Amino acid sequence: MLGLTFAAPLALAALVGLPALWFLLRVTPPRPRRIAFPPLKLVADLMARRQTPARTPPWLLILRLAAAAALILAVSGPVWNPQGIGAGGGRSALLVLLDNGASAAHDWRARLAVAQDTIEGAARDGRPVAVLGSAEAAAAIEARTPAAALERLRALAPRPHFADRATLLPVLGAFLEKNPGAGLVWISDGVAGPEADAFTGALAKLAEAGGTVVTLLRADAPPALALTAAESGSKLTAKVLRAAPNGREAGTVRALDPRGLPLAEHDFAFPNGALAAEVPLEIPVELRNNISRLEVSGERSAGAVVLMDERGKRRRVGLVFGGTSDQAQPLLAPTYYLSRALQPFADVQEARGAKGTAESINQLLDNQVSVLVLADVGAMDERTTARVEKFVSEGGLLLRFAGPRLAAGNDPLVPVRLRRGGRNLGGTLSWDNPKTLAPFAPESPFAGLSAPADIGVRRQILAEPDGDLPARTWASLQDGTPIVTAETRGQGRVVLFHVTADTTWSNLPLSGLFIDMLRRVVALAGSAAPPTDGGPRPPAAILAPRLALDGFGALGSPPASAKAVAADYGDRATPEHPPGFYGPADGGIAVNALRPGDALAPLDLSKLTGARTGTLAGAETLDLRPALFTFALMLLALDTLAGLWLGGFLARGGLGRLRGRPAALVAVGLLLAPLLAPVPARAEEPAANRPNGIESALLTRLAYVITGDAAVDEASRAGLTGLTQMLASRTALEPGEPAGIDPAKDELAFYPLIYWPIAANRPQPGEQAIRRIDAFMRNGGTVLFDTRDGLTSRPGAAPTPEGAYLRKMLATLEVPELEPVPADHVLTKAFYLVDTFPGRYASGQTWVEALPPAGEGTERRPARAGDGVSPIIITGNDLAAAWAVGRRGEPLYPVVGGDQRQREMAFRGGVNIVMYTLTGNYKADQVHVPALLERLGQ
Amino acid sequence: MVATRALSAEARNPGRRESESAAALASRMPRLILEARRVSSLLAHGLHGRRRAGPGESFWQFRPFVTGEAAARIDWRRSARDDRLYVREREWEAAHNIWLWIDRSASMGFASDLATVPKIERALVLGLALADAFVEGGERVGLLGLTRATAARNIVERLAQALVADEAGLNQDLPPRAEPGRFDEAILVSDFLTPPERVAAAVREIAGRGSRGHLVVVVDPVEETFPFAGQAVLHDLESGLALDIGEAATWGAAYRERIAAHRAALSEIARGQGWTFTLHRTDRPASEAALRLMTLVAASGA
Repeated sequence: MLGLTFAAPLALAALVGLPALWFLLRVTPPRPRRIAFPPLKLVADLMARRQTPARTPPWLLILRLAAAAALILAVSGPVWNPQGIGAGGGRSALLVLLDNGASAAHDWRARLAVAQDTIEGAARDGRPVAVLGSAEAAAAIEARTPAAALERLRALAPRPHFADRATLLPVLGAFLEKNPGAGLVWISDGVAGPEADAFTGALAKLAEAGGTVVTLLRADAPPALALTAAESGSKLTAKVLRAAPNGREAGTVRALDPRGLPLAEHDFAFPNGALAAEVPLEIPVELRNNISRLEVSGERSAGAVVLMDERGKRRRVGLVFGGTSDQAQPLLAPTYYLSRALQPFADVQEARGAKGTAESINQLLDNQVSVLVLADVGAMDERTTARVEKFVSEGGLLLRFAGPRLAAGNDPLVPVRLRRGGRNLGGTLSWDNPKTLAPFAPESPFAGLSAPADIGVRRQILAEPDGDLPARTWASLQDGTPIVTAETRGQGRVVLFHVTADTTWSNLPLSGLFIDMLRRVVALAGSAAPPTDGGPRPPAAILAPRLALDGFGALGSPPASAKAVAADYGDRATPEHPPGFYGPADGGIAVNALRPGDALAPLDLSKLTGARTGTLAGAETLDLRPALFTFALMLLALDTLAGLWLGGFLARGGLGRLRGRPAALVAVGLLLAPLLAPVPARAEEPAANRPNGIESALLTRLAYVITGDAAVDEASRAGLTGLTQMLASRTALEPGEPAGIDPAKDELAFYPLIYWPIAANRPQPGEQAIRRIDAFMRNGGTVLFDTRDGLTSRPGAAPTPEGAYLRKMLATLEVPELEPVPADHVLTKAFYLVDTFPGRYASGQTWVEALPPAGEGTERRPARAGDGVSPIIITGNDLAAAWAVGRRGEPLYPVVGGDQRQREMAFRGGVNIVMYTLTGNYKADQVHVPALLERLGQ
Repeated sequence: MVATRALSAEARNPGRRESESAAALASRMPRLILEARRVSSLLAHGLHGRRRAGPGESFWQFRPFVTGEAAARIDWRRSARDDRLYVREREWEAAHNIWLWIDRSASMGFASDLATVPKIERALVLGLALADAFVEGGERVGLLGLTRATAARNIVERLAQALVADEAGLNQDLPPRAEPGRFDEAILVSDFLTPPERVAAAVREIAGRGSRGHLVVVVDPVEETFPFAGQAVLHDLESGLALDIGEAATWGAAYRERIAAHRAALSEIARGQGWTFTLHRTDRPASEAALRLMTLVAASGA
């Protein structure tokens, strides 16, 4: 039924009025032009001889008539090819069945358009319509008005799982029974799904029973592609599927990491006429472990996406350190090298918030780690030991590192019997040089690795020379003493490095060899899958959906209907379990639309004999109204322009006006100029002041923070210059030129001490600067804050602007507890013996990190774990101003205070601060030398 | 379709642009004419460059004393240097002034697409360029009723300043009442869009003492040809008059007749006084009119 029909044919009667309009328009001339004409006063008496009525120009007349005709036609609502394909006749109900499973996304728009045309056709026929998506949950349907059906249609979207159409049969049956003679239009994607279903046969029977005319609309060949992936051993193979040869012969499979960045691409091509194409993805294992998603490039469908979970990929490695878990300084943490070396190929987990070794081990074993690393863990309690033994015998890998605690302890979880204590090589009390590694034996797992010559082992623990020691030795030193030993226990292994995991015993952890050795050790670990042999399996954990695919293959938050799955779920996605990630980010599973090994089958239409079939193309209904309205509107706009032109209003407009006014052009140019002008480059700083230069790395330099207040910055620079000169002349330290730094941008690691004068008139440093300063302090640096308000601040009074500024800045920093410098603090003894730290002012208080309270009985030692250097020193005395010297060494600022030697004392305090930051608590030990000597003398 | 535009009052004053174009035009004027005039001994009056002794201010030459002359004419300072007597002769100078009037009324501030410049701009450039050229040739030039005649080197700037200062001139479409000297010449640059009787009266007044003159009519091509068609309303720039002329094409024929009659009347006025009449269309180059006027002035001085 092709052709043109009108929704409101009566409106066409208005076309009769067009000739009348012709006459009306003819006598309505356009507005006369207005012409400036100086000679008019001479000829003002010259009247027009003949007042001939001006005629509208014929082309304008035609233009206007065309506009009117287009408007009338548009109002009459012409529709080209109005009905789409009607199903059945009469006023009976119509059921539109639209496939919206995972294979439907490819040509979804086309089929949605067909469905819309079908419903609109039914609307013109006045038939009630019901809409059903084949992948929706089966719920009772009823025929409604076409408008409601359109609403329902718009709510339909492709679902990420394959449709199981058989579940719809009862609903369909009920509908057809209720509406005898109803039409059924099935807009199909042509894919039967991974499992052949009996839907078509059952549908044919239902249709026959209900007298239903079934119309099947589908593309000639189902165009959808699907993707599965299987991992066997170290090989990852993707498989592109299609239900029938459909002309899409080649394409690309893409692997993406969790952030959506492409990791690899591989082209595929279907061998002629085949329904599946295998794509071997040969990617290095580190990259492969990072793959989170495989997809057929350009196919926006959940069926063409394979999500990769953590199962069988990266080993989970649990780290436990035997000492106190003091992680305040990350660089000094004993597990630092381990975690850095393991991270490229394993998921490193450390127990969070656990107290004590046993609790950490239990927590990690609960997390299903496959490798348990114990670094310098001594004896464990029996329950833990038993649990670790069970872990090993069930296939876990226990990797141990030696250390003082292990050397002192005696526990069964080592591969060889160990001697108490260890041996020192190349120490002060030893004749030997540090030993390096012997070449690896061919039967060792490390075979093939080459040991760098500069590896030196200074200390190790020794194994008792048993008979089976050589068999258990994976690596040994040049003199034959084992350095790595291993033993197989049950299905698992125990591996022991006879050195520590940090650099105290050897420099092995600094070498690239360490990473390779760890990689090979971890590769030996079995998977963490629960044992399959016998016994009732414990119920798997229930994992809540975290991210779900929508029908177009985009990840998003899971729908409300998504339900949690068991951790061992391995089936296809279902309506309750849409494809996506389930469970926590580091230990969840992925559910996909297809299982590995699935295939797509085309819809079996042989049983649907009585159905009319059609294609998706050629059924497009074209509503001509918008086009006609647009045309009429354009004609009217043209008419307006023409009227303006005839009236002489367009003669000089737009640019023409601007052309006559160079001033306007200049103004526009000036306005645009700042936009186009390049940002002026900053003048190059002198090399000595440039932070981050190679000088900073090679030379110890003092640093100050550039506040942006020129006077303050100049004082800081001059002050640190003065202090630098003083240090060079009085101490063994000869620092380089002081560096002005911007904490937000410059690398801070080069500087032991950063002087930070507070300028209250400057904005607060940004979040990034604060975070970097925090990391700087945490990693052992010291920041000297100077509020420079010693003259104005009073204890107990409201804080000065500088004080308030500093408080606000420190509020987001992790600042330790502070106290005024106590008299016995090492800061007062680091070089000179001083009592106070005066600067330009002497009245301000100096604050440092509070020392731990002295325990009873012990000597008062101003020292703390780690470097023991206070990360923060706060003063108000304006130290830099007291230190500041000019070019000839003359002091630049007067000091305020009664003491004649205040400037000298300021320098001494500054020297002490620098010495303190550089030497830490060394001086704290030295202050006891007189007492020790005295004791020796006795 | 031809578009027209009218200029505001400020735009009708000479600006830097007009001064510079005038200077440029003047510098392009050929010296030949003036040179020729200068050497022509036929020139009785008025023209400069006598190169002969006569009544004047500046030194010309010493000549030997001829017996019979008045003793007072002897230049004793010179005569003391040798044994003979000398008479100091001065160069013959005669005052010959040229008076300019440039119409700056609203009707001059008009330009159409067919013209290269507005009428006022052309009139100013023409007038100032002539002034410069005349001064260069040794004449004195002044603005009629505004300034005295001078031969200053910066005559263009002077006249332009005088014009800018004269705000009343922006509304006058006829020359002011002034009576130039007998041997002076007047150059009236205007569009003369006033009834011929008033023009005739003004010209008569100026020519009252026998001075010669030149009418330069600056017209826009549109004013001559009236190339409009279609419905149009004309409006005047000075009086605010508006006229619905209906179909412009038919009205144009009548207009062209009328304007031709006006030109004829103006020409007749000029002829009656012995003046010259120059019609200059603004789509023609300014040098054309300038050259013609130089020639006319030179011829009348002859």
